[in-house]
Amino acid sequence: MKENILIIGGGIAGLEAASQLLKLGYNPIIVERSGRLGGHVADWNRLFPDMTPAEEVVSRLVAGASEANIFLNTEISFINRLKDSYNVMLSNGVSIITKIMLFATGFSLFDASKKEEYGYGVYNQVMTNSDLERWFNTGHDCRITEEGPSAMGFVHCVGSRDEKARNSQCSKVCCITAVKQAIEMKQKFPDAMIYCFYMDLRMFGKKFEDFYISAQRDYGIRFIRGRVSEVSENIEGKLVVKAEDTLSGRPVKVTLDLLVLMSGIVCDHQTCRTAGMLSLPLDSDGFLKSRDNIADITASPKEGIFYAGACTGPKTVPETLAEARSAALEIHNHIISLSEELNSNSEGQ
Amino acid sequence: MRERFLTGYNDFVLPFMIGMIFILSYCAIGLIRILKQLPKDDRRRFFISLVTPKTIVKNIRDIFCDCLLHVKIWKRNKLLGYMHSSIAFGWFMLIVIGHIEVFLYVPHRAKLFYYPIFFRYFVAETETTMKGAFFFFLMDFFLLLVLSGIFLAMFKRIRSRMFGMRRTTNPSFLDLIGLYSLWAIFPLRLLAEGFTADISGGSFLTKSLNHILNSFLSDHTNMLPAWWAYSCALGIFFVVLPFTRYMHIPTEILLIPLRNAGIKIRNARKGFAKAQVYSCPSCGLCIDACPMGVMKTHIKDTTVYLNRQLRRNNERRIEEISDKCLLCGKCTAICPVGVEGDKLRIAQRSMRKYAVNPDYSGIDTALLPVSPGLADPSVAADDKVLYFAGCMTALTPSISKAMESILVKAGVGYEFMDKEGGLCCGRPMMMAGRLDQARQMVEKNTEIIRRSGAKTLLLSCPICYRIFKEEYRLEGIEVVHHTVYIRRLIASGRLKVGKTGLSYVFHDPCELGRGCGIYDEPREVLLAAGNLVEASKNRKESICCGGSLGSITLGFDKRKSMTENALSNLTVASPDVIVTACPLCRSTFTRYADRPVEDIAETIDRNV
Amino acid sequence: MDFGFKISPSSAVNLDNVDLSLYDRLHEVEPDIAKCIACGSCSASCPAGRFSGMSMRKVILDLQRGRQKEAVKMLSGCMLCGKCLMVCPRGINTRHLILAICKLYGED
Repeated sequence: MKENILIIGGGIAGLEAASQLLKLGYNPIIVERSGRLGGHVADWNRLFPDMTPAEEVVSRLVAGASEANIFLNTEISFINRLKDSYNVMLSNGVSIITKIMLFATGFSLFDASKKEEYGYGVYNQVMTNSDLERWFNTGHDCRITEEGPSAMGFVHCVGSRDEKARNSQCSKVCCITAVKQAIEMKQKFPDAMIYCFYMDLRMFGKKFEDFYISAQRDYGIRFIRGRVSEVSENIEGKLVVKAEDTLSGRPVKVTLDLLVLMSGIVCDHQTCRTAGMLSLPLDSDGFLKSRDNIADITASPKEGIFYAGACTGPKTVPETLAEARSAALEIHNHIISLSEELNSNSEGQ
Repeated sequence: MRERFLTGYNDFVLPFMIGMIFILSYCAIGLIRILKQLPKDDRRRFFISLVTPKTIVKNIRDIFCDCLLHVKIWKRNKLLGYMHSSIAFGWFMLIVIGHIEVFLYVPHRAKLFYYPIFFRYFVAETETTMKGAFFFFLMDFFLLLVLSGIFLAMFKRIRSRMFGMRRTTNPSFLDLIGLYSLWAIFPLRLLAEGFTADISGGSFLTKSLNHILNSFLSDHTNMLPAWWAYSCALGIFFVVLPFTRYMHIPTEILLIPLRNAGIKIRNARKGFAKAQVYSCPSCGLCIDACPMGVMKTHIKDTTVYLNRQLRRNNERRIEEISDKCLLCGKCTAICPVGVEGDKLRIAQRSMRKYAVNPDYSGIDTALLPVSPGLADPSVAADDKVLYFAGCMTALTPSISKAMESILVKAGVGYEFMDKEGGLCCGRPMMMAGRLDQARQMVEKNTEIIRRSGAKTLLLSCPICYRIFKEEYRLEGIEVVHHTVYIRRLIASGRLKVGKTGLSYVFHDPCELGRGCGIYDEPREVLLAAGNLVEASKNRKESICCGGSLGSITLGFDKRKSMTENALSNLTVASPDVIVTACPLCRSTFTRYADRPVEDIAETIDRNV
Repeated sequence: MDFGFKISPSSAVNLDNVDLSLYDRLHEVEPDIAKCIACGSCSASCPAGRFSGMSMRKVILDLQRGRQKEAVKMLSGCMLCGKCLMVCPRGINTRHLILAICKLYGED
């Protein structure tokens, strides 16, 4: 009989892990709370650094996992611990008995309206990074006019590295996302003046730095080292953004038609709830705690429960995929050791 | 009636007399010192108030209600109230009736201090006259009243929760001596009078005790030790009194007329402040009230401990306690004797010497013009409103935007005082105790307001509102908080608000409620927009959000538990929305709340 | 002796010669001072900045580099309004820090 493996979350991590587990001959079951697969990446338009269409990546992953059992619009109602397995009750009434669970629950985007001073939900010209990607995908957003903004800004670290927002961690991918989105906007509206307000630029990944150089040199995007502290509206209804240009040591004020807030990555509320059912610990950064943050990132402290992707912290797409594969391998090894244990026990009797 | 001793004296009165003379002279010196420490004009005002009929009546009423009947404590907890008034009022009546007896029976002894106290020992009365039986009964009745209070006091030390108090103070060593001697006074009096009851007479209590005592101690020589013990208990109590919390009994009698004369704290340690510190009964009601109390480590930073450290002159602790406080004013609101914990702390802060002293005289207010509002410019200029949003509102633009939108919808002509940035109102500086600096800001802002020619100054921040109301001299200009203003717009029909099915809870911001006494207007406004539910502690006892600028040393990480505590207090009736009227409360709550938090202006703007 | 030209004092900060004893005392009173990441939020929102050049970020940096005079001069415009406290992403208790500096550092 094929071993059941419950994968919580149908984002890229869940899909990649499922396709690997299928290849290894198991029976992965994906439980996804939304109505479609692909998670946050499916909402995105193009991915850095090569501007790969996100749809391409997602459809390849979905195809790879098509043999798996997939429950959409489904959540986990409760989990019962049996002797050596778990009985998981789903919201659609299905109950699953499994020895192995993989958390591929991902993250939530920080609710930008909580940073009240930036006026998200208050001013008509303020949007978030995910709103902008949706506009790239659909072309519909009342905040962006046909002729485009004549001046616009990106605010880095909204809800990241911010104790006031209860998230002191760096979200890792917003810097490069902002640079990517700024370039895309410049490509669409070559006359627009584009500013990026940053605290530090963290260009750690493959070709990220090249991307940054290109944004400066080829697209003329202006980088201002200073965190935006206040956004107000002038009498014509345009945004007035205040920051300090910390490199020149002077306050700057600029009038903009559009402001994009780079909402950070925070631990998903629902994930914490599910983790609570299994009494899985949270790390000090609010994400799920791995058995070891260096050597054993995909394993939870509990036997049979594994992690992949952004449920343990902010990650890029390639990192998430690599982790999903490694989690699949870990699961495979774990199942082998379980059956070996079973065999030696029966021989002993 | 007959006097038992011609001399009218026995040695056992000595301990009492020593104690009495000591405490009287101590109080007299203290009184003179406090009055001398008052600034000249305050002292004049005090003496005038003592001969003004209106304040005389108020003084007498307050002293009777607060010092004897303890009406404020009754309101808080019936048992606690009974305990206090039975002891205070009972004892007072024992003294009064003692004096009446002396005047009636032995008027020639009236000059002897101790006579009314030890009357039963010196004078044998008979029940045959109606007067005798009447007084016997009254004396026993009031003694019983006091004894019941003392019994409750003993019980309170074991189970303070029964009296509505979760936590109480740790008494100091001298407090304990005072406490035990106070407890001992009345049982000893009963015992002493019990021994004399068959000679000097008595009523249901003393007579009955006498019968019991006679059955095994028939010798009258046992009488003296009991009277000695009674006198010693009194003497000890009076001698330690100035060094214990019981000093509040005489001091409060001074504090009430001082307060009624309208005197304010002008010196951190002298005069009125000193009277307040010594009026603190160390009851510890402020410990449960303090919003910092959610963390055990802050219990020793409450007002009762501030008063204790002020009496001990422990400068290090005084500074620590003064700087940590949120200045929410709840201890002041609930204090049964009227110690102003928040003002006392600001006064301590104001004593501090700084090497760097900010100066704003160089600021040119011409650089801070008011901006035109969004409303129709044709609106008559004579009812022009000047809207000052304040520093905090600049960080919560949703409030100022909603407020402007309300003004436009109501057709009010207005100007925006600090749209392009303005000066701070001065209240945060004042809270830090830097009064001269705050005064400078007040002057600068007054210049701007005067120049604008506005008739009404509208504020959406209660922190600003309080200082504009208390410290600014803006005669001819009405200073109004937006909760009040919106209510007025609704009442006059200029603003039509539709009702939603949502239920709202209103959080009383410290500076608006306890600070300025505005409780009803915001609730009336919310009732126009939906259902109103109440928090478990509200109005005068509302719990600070924890974001207050009042605290200097409390770091961001230390405030979380206070905010969570305040939120759980607000959500007991499970409201859909938490509404407040302060930008600081709003952003503090938004950080941790599990449901929407908004300013009252936003709520109303959405429903117009 | 006049050579007809002057050597102006170097504007470089020589960290070897910086006396940080006052800063260390300040750090004891308010350890948060070391948490600053110089994002500039405080300076951008400061209402005193436009009049006196007040910038909390610069004050902290100046004190860490031993440039007390510059720091103290800026502080004399501070209104203690608490906006910097509200916007600081690191949750630094700026008002306490400012008062502590005002107490410790004289204008000599």
